[in-house]
Amino acid sequence: MRPPLVLDGKEIQIEERSPPPTERRRAHKWLGEKALTRYKDAESEGLELFISKVAKEKMRNHALRHADEKKEVMGLMLGWIFRSGEREYAIVRDVVTTDLDSSSVHVRFDREGFEKLFASLEESGFDYLIVGWYHSHPGHGCFMSSTDVETQQTLFGRRHHSAIVIDPVNKAVEAFFLDGGTMKARDFAVYWDEYESPYHGTSVRTRRVRSDPDGVPSAE
Amino acid sequence: MPLRVKVRNAESGATVDMELEGENTIEDIIEGAAGYWEKDAGAYVLRRGKRLLRGQQTVAEAGVLNSDDLELIPDPEGGG
Repeated sequence: MRPPLVLDGKEIQIEERSPPPTERRRAHKWLGEKALTRYKDAESEGLELFISKVAKEKMRNHALRHADEKKEVMGLMLGWIFRSGEREYAIVRDVVTTDLDSSSVHVRFDREGFEKLFASLEESGFDYLIVGWYHSHPGHGCFMSSTDVETQQTLFGRRHHSAIVIDPVNKAVEAFFLDGGTMKARDFAVYWDEYESPYHGTSVRTRRVRSDPDGVPSAE
Repeated sequence: MPLRVKVRNAESGATVDMELEGENTIEDIIEGAAGYWEKDAGAYVLRRGKRLLRGQQTVAEAGVLNSDDLELIPDPEGGG
């Protein structure tokens, strides 16, 4: 029996597209003072990671749900990569997870949980790339442990790949990436799509206010 | 008769077309694709739709068919 034969390989073409506009993005509320200062500088230079509000909330809520029991959580970030001028950036549109095998200092997908994870991938509703992963350090702060670094090197070594670390106890978050083999903090923005605005697609009319005979104002 | 499948790397979007025999195992597919992309085969799992394809199974046992699309999914591990 011969091993499988690789006949042909193809890479994706990275499309040119503008990142989410500044009026629809902001810093994560859990950034520390130092990261927030860095964010403001990076905003003007061009960010390389944009996380949708939906994905941000799913990651945060996942971490918060297990904060009291001090259990780590983890998931994969789904999105795509684009180019804007010379810079490549990643968009995280959603996240997926499944049952976990976790403790206060370790996490991985439960060996029996993959089919649930795959169902979420099938139901994502868009073409995706796995642009990174997230996990929590409940009460331990946001850093990349030796296990995390090994995961990043083994699985997420491209520049567009990111690792999000959340500490739900201290309400802190940081992003990291590998830059030529060195782990670095990555500045990122949370963005929201236009349709997520409660007023998108509607015109807002000024309410007419009139007084009734008793002098009590009522709205029409 | 050999089968042809497409394996997609979910992290990069890259794909490879592979020719398989029914006796090849799922592990062989993961090793072949991971080797092509210079990745550590042990850090990935392979899916066909919602199903996990288990390493020791042969292609025939796993029900892999000609023209199937398979996807290599990272299996990360976090520590605190």
